[in-house]
Formats: sequence, C-alpha cells, structure tokens
Amino acid sequence: MNPRRSYAAGTGLFILLGFAALAYLATQTTSLVNFDSGPSYDVTAEFTSVGGLKDRAPVKMAGVRIGTVKSITLDQKSLDAKVTLAIADRYNQIPADSYAKIMTSGLLGDQFISLSPGGSPDNLKNGSVIANTQSALQLEDLIGKFLTSGGSKSASGSSK
Amino acid sequence: MTDTSSDSAAVPLVQVRGLTTVLGGKKVFDALDLDIARGRVTAIMGPSGTGKTTLLKHITGQMHGDAGQVLVDGEDVARLPRESLYVLRERIGYLFQNSALLSDYNVFENVAFPLRQHTRLQEDLIRNVVLTKLQAVGLRGAALLMPSELSGGMARRVALARAIVFDPMLILYDEPFVGLDPIALNQVLKLIRTLNRELGITSVLVAHEFAAVREVADHVHLIANGKRVASGTPAELAKGDSPWTAQFFGGALEGPVPFQYPAPPLASAFGFPGVAP
Amino acid sequence: MKQFAARLFDPLVDGLADIGRTGWFLLGLLAALPRGLTYPRELLRQLWFVGAKSLIIIMISGLFVGMVLSLQLYYTLSIFGGTSALGTVIALSLYRELGPVVTALLFAGRAGTAITAEVGLMRATDQLSAMEMMAVDPLAFVASPRFLAGVIAMPLLVAVFNLMGIFGGHLIGVTWLGIDNGTFWSNMTSNVSVWTDVINGEWKALAFGALISLIAVYQGYTAPPTSEGVANATTRTVVTSSIAILALDFVMTAFLM
Ligand SMILES: Nc1ncnc2c1ncn2[C@@H]1O[C@H](COP(=O)(O)OP(=O)(O)OP(=O)(O)O)[C@@H](O)[C@H]1O
Ligand SMILES: [Mg+2]
Repeated sequence: MNPRRSYAAGTGLFILLGFAALAYLATQTTSLVNFDSGPSYDVTAEFTSVGGLKDRAPVKMAGVRIGTVKSITLDQKSLDAKVTLAIADRYNQIPADSYAKIMTSGLLGDQFISLSPGGSPDNLKNGSVIANTQSALQLEDLIGKFLTSGGSKSASGSSK
Repeated sequence: MTDTSSDSAAVPLVQVRGLTTVLGGKKVFDALDLDIARGRVTAIMGPSGTGKTTLLKHITGQMHGDAGQVLVDGEDVARLPRESLYVLRERIGYLFQNSALLSDYNVFENVAFPLRQHTRLQEDLIRNVVLTKLQAVGLRGAALLMPSELSGGMARRVALARAIVFDPMLILYDEPFVGLDPIALNQVLKLIRTLNRELGITSVLVAHEFAAVREVADHVHLIANGKRVASGTPAELAKGDSPWTAQFFGGALEGPVPFQYPAPPLASAFGFPGVAP
Repeated sequence: MKQFAARLFDPLVDGLADIGRTGWFLLGLLAALPRGLTYPRELLRQLWFVGAKSLIIIMISGLFVGMVLSLQLYYTLSIFGGTSALGTVIALSLYRELGPVVTALLFAGRAGTAITAEVGLMRATDQLSAMEMMAVDPLAFVASPRFLAGVIAMPLLVAVFNLMGIFGGHLIGVTWLGIDNGTFWSNMTSNVSVWTDVINGEWKALAFGALISLIAVYQGYTAPPTSEGVANATTRTVVTSSIAILALDFVMTAFLM
C-alpha cells in the first residue's frame, strides 16, 4: 500500500509542477505582463503614421511606463491614425500640452509611445487630445533619404 | 441443440461439433466432435502440438474455427457479441499453460484481479477470499511477492488460485501439474477434486500425467491428428484396446500417433542426392 | 529491374500498411477510451511512469538547450546589433519549436520505448490474453491508460522544459554575457504572446504526446511474442515516432502558427 501512496504523491507533484510551469510561462514571460488591470483614463493622439506600433505597446514618460496603447484606428476625416492611450490614474499630473512621439527601443526593438512634458498648468484628463505628436521614424524613409542625398550622383548617372 | 436451459444436466456444458481449424497451413482440427459433461472432470490428452491449448482457446472464444461450432452452455461462442462473450468469460476460469501472471502486480493483487474488476466487494471480503484461495494452493505466505520472485511451480499455483477465485461454472486447466513437486501435485489434485465434488464446478483438464489424470478425471478424451481418437473413463482407456490408446499410454515410439511434426522425409531434408522430396 | 522496383516499393507499401494498421488500431483505442477511464488508478500509475519519471531528463535537457540557445542567438543577434531581443528570440524558439520537438524526441526515447517493451512483454507472456480471459479488455485496461498518460504528460513536460530553457537562457544571457536583466524580460514580455506562442506550442505538445503514445502502444501490442520481436518493436517506436514528430511538426507549424 505504501509504494502506491508514494507514486500517487509523486504523480500529483508532477502535475502540479507542470501546471505551475505553464502558468508562469503564460503570465510572466508574455505580453500578459503588460496588461494593466488598474484604473486608468483615456487620452487620444493623432499621428500621420504609427509605423509598427501595436495594441498594448507601452506608453512611457522619462523612460517610466505610465500606460498602454489601448486602440489604434484610422480617422476617416483626417486620414490620420488615431491612437487611444490608457494612462494609469495615479499619473494625473501630466501637462495637457505634452508631446507624444513614437519611438523604437534599439534598432530591432519594439515601438512605444514616449510622452515629453509640456509647460501648461492644465493636466491631461479623460478624453483629452494630445495635439503635439511626432510619427514613427520609418527605417525605409531614413534609408531613402540617405540614398537620395549621398548616392544622388550615381543614381542620376545610371538613369540616363 | 439450442436448448439454453442450464439446469438440464443431460445437455453437455460444452459441445464441439465438426470443428475444423487451419493454423499456419496445418489442419489442427479436422471435423472434431467432443462433449464436456456438466459437473464432471474431463481430461483432454494427446501428443504435444496436437491442439489441446488451441481447443481451450476455442471454448473461451479467443480463437474461432474455420468450420463447425463450439457451444458453451448452449451458446455458439464464435457468434457471441463482445459484451456477451465477456459475460460468459466471467463464468469461466482459465489456467494458462505459462501462468500469465500480471507482472505489474504482486501475488495478492493477481489473485484479487478478477474480483476487483467484476465485483464491488469490500476490501476485507476480497482479502478473505484471496487469502483462502492462496491457502488452498499453499502460498498464503507468498502473497506479497512479485511474479518475478516466484519459481515456475509457485507461479502455476498462483495462476491456479486466480483461475478459481470466482468459483466459476467452468474451469479450464491447461497443464496444471507441470513443475509441481509430488506434494504440491497431490495438493492441486485434491483442490481440483474438491472444487468439482463440493461446488459442482465443471472442469476440463489438459495434462500429460496419466497417473494424476486417473485420480481425478471422470472422463478422458484422447485427440490426435485433429480428431478425437478415443474416449472413456481412465480405466477404460488404460486397458489400451485401440491402437491409439495402446501406443499413447504405452509410450511406444511406433504407432498411429505421430511423434514427428509433419515434415518431408529426413533424407530429403539432409539433401541426399537422388531422394526427391 | 523488377527486383529493383520491388526493393524500392516494398518498404513503401509496408510503411503505408503500417500507417493504415496504426490508424485502425487508433479507432479501436478511441472506442475503448471511455471504458479506459474507469481505471483511474492505472492512469495514475502510467502518469507516474511516463510523466514523473521523465521529469529529470526533461529538466536537465531544457536547461542546456536554453543555455546553448542563449550563446548561439547572442552571436547571431550581435551581428546586427539586436542583442536586446535575446529574451524574445529565446522564448519564441523554445515555445514555438524547440520545446515541443525536443521534449517529444526525448519522450519517445524515454517513455515510448518503455511502453512498447512493457506491452510487448505482456503480449509475449500471455498477460493480454489472460486479461481477455478474465473479461477485462486490454485495450481499455492496458492501452488506454498509457495513451492518455502520454497525452496528458507531454504538455506538462513541455511547459517544464520551456521554463528550464528560459532560466538557462537567462543565466547565460544576463549573468554571463551581460545583457541587462530588465531589457531581457521587457523585450520578451512585449513580443511573446500567450495564444500564438505559448498555447500553440502546447497544442503541438498535445499532438506529439498522442502520436508517440499511440505508436508506442501499437508497436508493443502487435510485437511478435519473442525477445527479438519486442526488441525490434522498441526500435521501431523510436524511429517511427521521431519521423512522425518532425513531419507533424512541419504540418502544424505551417497551418497553425
Ligand atoms: N497462432 C498460431 N499460428 C499458427 N500455428 C499455431 C498457432 N497456434 C498454434 N499453432 C499450431 O497449432 C498446433 C497446436 O498447438 P497447441 O498449442 O494447441 O498444442 P498443444 O496440444 O497444447 O501442445 P502442448 O501439449 O505442447 O502444449 C501446433 O502445431 C502449433 O504449431
Ligand atoms: Mg498446450
């Protein structure tokens, strides 16, 4: 009877360990980590291009994470990208004229929104619109610029 | 023939009718006819490789003949659906020629296995039944050993205990005396007799030891060459009236009972020139 | 010429026939599965044998695979200055591909062979016939619990393998190669998704577990009742399931991920 008990216990331990590992992988090593469940308020910002920005990308100020990208839609009138940011309620002292910029962490890294503080006495609140924005720097544009300025001679030569 | 009333003692429990079976190109049974009487001990004897084990497997529905039928308690086992066949098998105990104990379980659990599978008995009741059966084969003290720790003769006795644990209506013993010392042999003989006389369990005994068979069997069938060549009480067969019984029980090398497995002549097998197979 | 064709096609036909018979066996197994569930104690025992006893080898292998991945991917990423993505590429390689496949290959070698040898020996020593004689269906009592145990154990083993791989990768990447701990994790957490990466990998694990235990049980069940027959069946389990895993992996990757 005793050996049976001990392997039953061992099997139970194995199953627990397996599920614990799975739970850890799912919640601690994936984007679920970035899922803020705390209370937040929404502000919107329009960009001419969001590049590779994705839903749930971080929103940072001075490098500190203060919220996430909630949704990215196309504004039919202006034909700009309209990005809704969910900012944690405890960060309620952010100047209304702050400046939103899409940045990339490292060369191959993922994109996020960086807010630079403005000087207004008013603060961002639910429904505010951030007027000052700068779109994503597109790698292709950069390379294109580089080619047209630095390689113009050879380019014009070959076209003839 | 299709009379299913099990209390009519006149109808044999097992009826083999015209059974013909071909295995690996060899006709193991050739229109075999044979009865096993209810409540009796019937021995089946015959030369090695003649199909005694195969016959038992036909009775339990593990194998089916190519022609003819095997009726057990009035039912054609080859035609039974799986569920009914399993219900039938719960009433049959089978002692395998090579014991076939479950190697994952100890002696106690092996004997308890049929009880655990087919009954909802209380644990202490199971314990009592199992230990009683083990006591009957003289191995109560070995209850906690694993099958790998048993000798051949011990394993056979455990398998015997397992076959009888249910007190079934029919027990098929495939060579129960192999590997037993004289004391254990007597004990097993006594056990077979007791199960038959006191519980009325029909028993089929496949064995080569005529001396032992003589002690318990009411009836003996001798099969050879796929047919039943002689039947009768042990005393009748021992008289050796027919050439079959005379040779088989006399142990003579020459006679109608083949000693060799069918083969072309030895000379042609050795490749002597001029001898065509 | 005829002989050459025969030599070419015979193994092919044999292989196809084997696949067909395995499929046929699977149908019988699935039909017996509900009855197999009435033997929870057997299932528990098999989970112990195929799952818990494979744990050590899976953990050690996972650790080393993670460490090697870290070294190799660091080198590759450093070519184009992307070493901050190390955590991401380690996690994605493990979850999507290496975790399920390596675990499955180890599982086939460790548990698959044991199942085949055990069931084959039960066949050879008439234990399966004995069960049938005692009105116990060996498909339900022997095959089903082993099959189910494989299906249940594999996803759990893969999760453990992946976890150890991440630890190994972190150990090398952060402690040895000096990548920033925060970068390692934050890059990983922003690029790895639960559904397309972790869960899809687990689907693979489930499928591989079913495949391996099916092949292992089938080979044992049909092994010729001799020591040579059982030995050959064991070898066939490893060979067949390894090929089957890699082929199925391709199909699942193409259609699932
Ligand atoms: N599965 C099988 N395939 C082919 N031939 C078989 C098979 N099983 C049994 N045989 C053949 O059937 C014949 C009868 O075998 P069986 O085991 O019934 O003999 P037996 O009378 O019990 O012999 P023994 O007294 O040695 O136990 C043998 O010739 C054997 O070669
Ligand atoms: Mg025999």
